[in-house]
Amino acid sequence: MRPRKLLRIARWEVTKNAGGVDKRTLAVAGLAIALIAVLAPAVAAQGAVLDEGIYRVAVDEDSRYYDVVEENPTFVARPDATREDLGESVDLYIEDGYVSPAASPKGRAAKEELRSAVQAYNNEQLRQEANQSAAFPVSVSLEYREQSQAGGTLATDGEDPQQVRDPDNRSDNRTGDGTPVDGNGSNATDGTDGTDGTDGTDGTNGTDGTDGTDGTAGAPNSGGLGGAGSAISGDGDSVDSPSQLSPPFPFESLVLAFVFIIPMNFLIQAYGSTILSERLNRRGELLLVSPVSRYEIIGGKTLPYFAGAMAIEAVIAVGLTYVGTGTIGGLVSIAAILPLVALFLAATFVGAMFARSFKELTFVTVTITVGLTSYAFVPAIFTDVTPIALISPLTVVVRDLQGQAVAAPEFLFSVTPPLLSAIVLFGLGAGLYREEDMFAQRAIPLKVLDALAGPVRKRWHVGAMVAVLLPFVFVLQLLAIAVLFALGEVSIPLLLVVVAVVEEIAKSLPVYAAYAHKRFERSTVSALVLGAIAGAGFFVGEKITQLAQLVGLPELAQGQAALQIAPTDVGAPILIALFFLPLLLHGVTAAISAVGASRGKRAYVVALGVAMLVHLVYNLAVLSEVLGNV
Amino acid sequence: MIEVSDLRKEYGDFAAVEGSTFAVEDGEVFGIIGPNGAGKTTTLKMLAGLIEPTSGQVSVAGYDADDTEMRRRLGFLPEESPLYEEMTPISYLTFFADLYDVPSDVAEERIDETLSELDLDHRERQLGDMSKGMKRKVAIARSLINDPDVLIYDEPASGLDPLTTNYIIQFTERLAEEGKTIVFSAHNLFHVESICDRVAIMNEGSIVAKGDLETLQAEHGETEYHVYTTVEVPDSVKKNGRYRRVVNSMDEVEATREAATEAGGEVVDIRTEESSLEEVFLNVAESGRVEA
Repeated sequence: MRPRKLLRIARWEVTKNAGGVDKRTLAVAGLAIALIAVLAPAVAAQGAVLDEGIYRVAVDEDSRYYDVVEENPTFVARPDATREDLGESVDLYIEDGYVSPAASPKGRAAKEELRSAVQAYNNEQLRQEANQSAAFPVSVSLEYREQSQAGGTLATDGEDPQQVRDPDNRSDNRTGDGTPVDGNGSNATDGTDGTDGTDGTDGTNGTDGTDGTDGTAGAPNSGGLGGAGSAISGDGDSVDSPSQLSPPFPFESLVLAFVFIIPMNFLIQAYGSTILSERLNRRGELLLVSPVSRYEIIGGKTLPYFAGAMAIEAVIAVGLTYVGTGTIGGLVSIAAILPLVALFLAATFVGAMFARSFKELTFVTVTITVGLTSYAFVPAIFTDVTPIALISPLTVVVRDLQGQAVAAPEFLFSVTPPLLSAIVLFGLGAGLYREEDMFAQRAIPLKVLDALAGPVRKRWHVGAMVAVLLPFVFVLQLLAIAVLFALGEVSIPLLLVVVAVVEEIAKSLPVYAAYAHKRFERSTVSALVLGAIAGAGFFVGEKITQLAQLVGLPELAQGQAALQIAPTDVGAPILIALFFLPLLLHGVTAAISAVGASRGKRAYVVALGVAMLVHLVYNLAVLSEVLGNV
Repeated sequence: MIEVSDLRKEYGDFAAVEGSTFAVEDGEVFGIIGPNGAGKTTTLKMLAGLIEPTSGQVSVAGYDADDTEMRRRLGFLPEESPLYEEMTPISYLTFFADLYDVPSDVAEERIDETLSELDLDHRERQLGDMSKGMKRKVAIARSLINDPDVLIYDEPASGLDPLTTNYIIQFTERLAEEGKTIVFSAHNLFHVESICDRVAIMNEGSIVAKGDLETLQAEHGETEYHVYTTVEVPDSVKKNGRYRRVVNSMDEVEATREAATEAGGEVVDIRTEESSLEEVFLNVAESGRVEA
């Protein structure tokens, strides 16, 4: 690839489109940027407070609640108000430690908000204690249980300090510093209900206070206000699933992730259009016949969008860092966002190569927006809740902007799958960037087959193609973990189904595409050989998933189920067996699908179903049994 | 300049081009004619390196068709003129001149010269606002921006009005006079006949006849002799006070002369009428003859 040619095409791409952007589009884009520019620094500086000053509280300055009210922007203190003002100019009236709400929904909401504010205040007080072990003592209750087939076998035993369950099985709290992550959840924060115990108005909540002392990492009562969870404080270290947590909604993470993801959704619209416009009416034909390679054309057309996206993201990252810390930084964020930008563009590129019209392109870009935003955005919201969030590079960005350290393995774990996926997607799209494919009006599924079969000329190419698809498999499985793990133990069998479906499709589709393009003779022997090669290719590529061990993901039952990571505390023979069993599985199931693929579409669908079933049985029976016995 | 050997292109089970073999000499104008779907465009695109042949060999100016160096020496004009309509002729041609590594001063001069020759004004107008004929002229100018040795033109005058068509054909003739090697296809056989040195006739993916016009006429055409006599002879018709008999061989001409003499008259004129390329093409297409 010659940089000069690439840059010339990039310059042409910019100047060509410069006059094509109408004023309305510019206005909308400008408004969006202005909104981001205003919103993001505000969040970075002080967090987003959309309900500032909505509750008015009559509280004396010498009341112990006064500081709570003052420090929480939701409240406005009205020291001069009287009881007569309750329901009129104030929503809460506090006198001698007793809290009286106005007889209205707003009054009741104000009381609930005060309770949360007290919890947060208490927690902050406790965090300032020099002896954190004393401030947040940990009590561990052990209970030995029969292991269930799926979830139980993959959960750690009671001796593992990282995965201790409370007797009620309501939380998996395990902390290094004793800080609970439940915030105001059902367990750890119950101590806060001492607030009500203090005012003596809520006996039920006083009972909840028992849970606080029950010791599931909950903070004890402190003074008259009780303990409080740390919420999303950044120093939590939990592997709880959302179904077991009730943290305050992490609005700051949400806004930060939102700020980074929005520009990309604008950008891919323009990028998709420019790629598709090359294909419509054969406009790109003359570039193809000029003395530049297709890679220079693709690179040149992509570069302005990539550079533009990175520039915007860099400005956001550096700006937010500066607003938040007063220093110039954000390099980690910029590096983490790069593969995500590449993935957005790569997916759009392939989508635009598949689409036959702007109508189809709209469908494609919406799909990409929803899919990739889910992949990148949703985990990042829960940055401080679970290590699963690290499947998204945005999590690294959010953590970096929140001043948290990001370890190199965590960084690699986040950025490698999207980066590899982007490279593969660009490669598949580039395979179609030639006269015969890019101007052909073929249905999207057929284009997918074209892309897969394009590079396949020899048998071993099938194995290579299957291995190349591994980043997608990995990303999909990680996404499945993130989506399904909220369901708790039910998610394990569901994940095993997802794993079987995704992996069998990845192994068999290149074989089917090769047969569809008459690359190989349609015979049983040929199919068995191709199946074995595809299985071996997948097996080799699958080892990439060992990357997951670099972070805490395998410690989750869901992580083990989806990634099928072998335990390390077993003997050599079992380790060897566990190492090679997947090779046998992949070879067998890929061969089943390949035999079907060699006999046509309908036979392929049936064979693929059988292969998925075999894979699922293996996952459920063999793997779980093996792991359960070790 | 161009060597094509046993060229074949398959799309699934369909063979768009099969077994084409021909050569084009340096400075020659070579036409490819045939009905729709005959494989003309596919053949030209394989020559230009746009389509990869299923089998067979293509060499242009001594380079393989997929060689970047070959593309530097080639000017390709597709059947449509898919221009970037948001650009002006100048910016469009300058961009392609850059891609072909034409020095900017040379490019500027060449663009000005070519657009003048093509009689194209409105050089700063957006291409999207131009007529089809003007766009075609810009497309032709682009094909010449690198001063190529070889020009491959696919239906250069397709869909244009007669005036513009005539202009473009004349321009192509001038390019041939400058020594460019030109391969082009056309539906209008009159255009091919007027400027081509040799012609290949394609039908259903195969070359069914090829050669110079005389050879094709001799092999696939018919020569008619119009014999005019002063008296009526068998199969004659009266025209302008004379009788005309149309025959297909010199023996029949002699027989007509004898018949006129026996009737007391004489032959006063003999005119020869050769088949046009169109008639040759129709003959070949109807007979389905395949040249070995």
